[in-house]
Amino acid sequence: MPPNTAARNWISIATRMRGIAPLLVLIGLVALIGMLKPGFLTLDTLVVVMADTATLFIIAAGVTFVIMLGGIDLSIQSVASLSSVIVAMMLPGAGYWAFPAALMAGLFTGAFSGIVHVWLRIPSFIVTLATSGLASAAALLLSQARSITIGQSGRAFLTWVTGRLFGVPSVIIVGAMVAAAGIWIQRYTAFGRYSTAIGAGEAATVASGVKVNRQKAIAYALSAGLSALAGILLAGRMSSGSPTLANELLLPAIAAVVVGGTAITGGAGGIGRTVLGALIIAVVRVGMTFVGINIFAQQMVFGLVLIVAVAITIDRGKVLIVK
Amino acid sequence: MLSVKNVSKTFGVVQALDDVSLEINENEVVGLVGENGAGKSTLMRVLAGVYAPDRGSLQLGGKSIVFGSPTGANLNGIGIVFQEQSLLPNLSIAENIYLGQERQFVRLGLISRQRLNAAARRQLEKVHADFDPRTRTSELNFAARQMVELAKALALEERTDRHLVILLDEPTSMLEQRDIDILFARVRALRARASFVFVSHRLEEVLEISDRIYVMKDGRVVAHMPVADATVPQLHQLMVGRDRHAEYYRESRQHAPRAEVVMEASGLAVDGAYREIDFTLRKGEVLGIAGVIGSGREELTRTLFGFLPQTRGKLRVNGREVRLNSPSEAADIGIGYIPRERRVEGLVLPLSVAVNMTLASLQAVKIRGVISPKRERELAKRWVEKLHVRTPSVDTLCLQLSGGNQQKVVLSKWMNARSRILIFDHPTRGLDVGAKEEVYELIRDLSDDGIAIVLTADTLEETIGLCHSILAMRDGRVTARFDASPGSKPSQVDLIRHMV
Repeated sequence: MPPNTAARNWISIATRMRGIAPLLVLIGLVALIGMLKPGFLTLDTLVVVMADTATLFIIAAGVTFVIMLGGIDLSIQSVASLSSVIVAMMLPGAGYWAFPAALMAGLFTGAFSGIVHVWLRIPSFIVTLATSGLASAAALLLSQARSITIGQSGRAFLTWVTGRLFGVPSVIIVGAMVAAAGIWIQRYTAFGRYSTAIGAGEAATVASGVKVNRQKAIAYALSAGLSALAGILLAGRMSSGSPTLANELLLPAIAAVVVGGTAITGGAGGIGRTVLGALIIAVVRVGMTFVGINIFAQQMVFGLVLIVAVAITIDRGKVLIVK
Repeated sequence: MLSVKNVSKTFGVVQALDDVSLEINENEVVGLVGENGAGKSTLMRVLAGVYAPDRGSLQLGGKSIVFGSPTGANLNGIGIVFQEQSLLPNLSIAENIYLGQERQFVRLGLISRQRLNAAARRQLEKVHADFDPRTRTSELNFAARQMVELAKALALEERTDRHLVILLDEPTSMLEQRDIDILFARVRALRARASFVFVSHRLEEVLEISDRIYVMKDGRVVAHMPVADATVPQLHQLMVGRDRHAEYYRESRQHAPRAEVVMEASGLAVDGAYREIDFTLRKGEVLGIAGVIGSGREELTRTLFGFLPQTRGKLRVNGREVRLNSPSEAADIGIGYIPRERRVEGLVLPLSVAVNMTLASLQAVKIRGVISPKRERELAKRWVEKLHVRTPSVDTLCLQLSGGNQQKVVLSKWMNARSRILIFDHPTRGLDVGAKEEVYELIRDLSDDGIAIVLTADTLEETIGLCHSILAMRDGRVTARFDASPGSKPSQVDLIRHMV
């Protein structure tokens, strides 16, 4: 027997599952809910679902960059909350400058995580757990632990979030732009290519002379940067910023990435798949409401979905020891 | 007593053991010698129950026996002291000796440390080591840890009624002379209660300690004799003993290197690995490094590609002094690396041929800063054609290619990156004969193009056949330099004399 047959079979099964299953699941879920609740399959309802999905998708798109190269970012929800606080506080005084300020805060936090991760050689889940604490505390201190309502004057700067363009809610358009840019980055830039290679075989990528540490730092910066963008959108839609605004988004975001078919060990998948994953999560959420599952029990469902999705798609040939 | 009968074992296309038979009698020390890759380690692992033979059998007291696992071998009295030590550094000596055997010390559901330590002390006494069994093994030096391993192997006496056979795999390669003397004294004393199989590159030691000697070559036992009948030169001859076919290595295509020096080392050293290495490498030259495991040649190879920066001495590349702190620094100045672990370091296996071929030179496939998949595939197709890579398409995943074709993809990667110096680390390992010859042909092509090559090869024949000049290393130093121009190539015996 050739030595790699077993590994090859696993890879092909995992690849096939990641390939087609998410789309089938999405179509199946939409059809199922459509049958149970005919009102669901109208354009208006679907547009509302997509608009509600945009922020989740943008956070998930960010963390996809990190998961692709085999890491994880647990700071995404804290960074998004911090960003909402910065926007809410700065809008009245600084106007549009609030947005780049919030984005920069996100990029900076992510770059910090990435640099600490590669320089001190600390596992990414520890570094980003710690960064999550830093971002949370910063948000609590800035807001004095209160929710900050964005007044009439501030809301004027938020029409690009709350409004519509050609009849489509603009958050959907922002989400689509992030998807397009993300897919393009992963497919046509050296960073995207190296990320895939690092996730699929880091030792060989290092031995090919790739500056692996640099790619990792960029990925964490992008992840937190997109989380900050999601925080801005959340602040706009809620007309407020709060240090806990994006809580409860970490689990569904990571679930969206994995359910979409990106391998949790990295190297396969991408942001296109995260679009599907985020839609699946959104439809599951809507479905749960229809079926009458208590809103507080929803995280339980996302937790189970995450476990099942990882169990199905994990590449056993690559993970020899699981800790 | 313990015998190996006609055992064969293959890994992929490599025949590691070919119809090997061997006898171990009670209370004797059997020496096992052979070049790198002769099959000694595989044979030891078969004896230790790590590998099951493909054909043939093991017999104990005349009856066939299947170990099935290292534990099975243990229960039949076989213990092994590994070359790469197997003690867990965060556990105490006693905990290591009885790892997995703690049940006997359990009282009221808890392990009695007192009993455990007392039992460990009895084992240590067998090797005359008066260590405190509570010491963590990370606090011991190499020689002391080896004594603990020996004590651990001897603890088998209490688990089995069988006569003990203890396998010593290169036990002396990391020891100072004083510690070797101690080890040998213990082995002689313990011969009353166990048999030993002693594997070593150092022939003088094998002659000193063994009662009988087996010589292996290319997976076969080529000779065995009582120690009284053996001499070092005779063993050398037996270890290499095959004629080299000049054309197999394309020697007629070996041309003199050009004058221009592209790499130069003076006094190069990595503490604890090798020291005082001097060499020059010219355009188009193939420089071979010969040495056994532990000679420092593996580390030297790693230094030249930035994995293990030198701690002393100078390295010049194209006249500029450099210290390569990472593979990316090495790649940036035109060095490429064909690793021994092709499937781990050579290729990103789950990605395509085209992606792997361009991984070290993405610049070349960008148009205005953006990767052009079209250009990438065209470039990859050119290499597939030029190097005759047998693959359904350039989109095929590398894990679906054979070893020889995978190696061509690795080579394309560096040719694509226009590397002028290539470090070949066991480039033909695991390849079948046809694929090997293709690699030899490619090495001649590269040499003709003025590419300079540093080669550590799988066999001495390969080193001699392919290289313009050869450094022999032993214990971290260069022991000899050979000119290997066609017609004046050194013999294998010349080389091995300076390696072991």
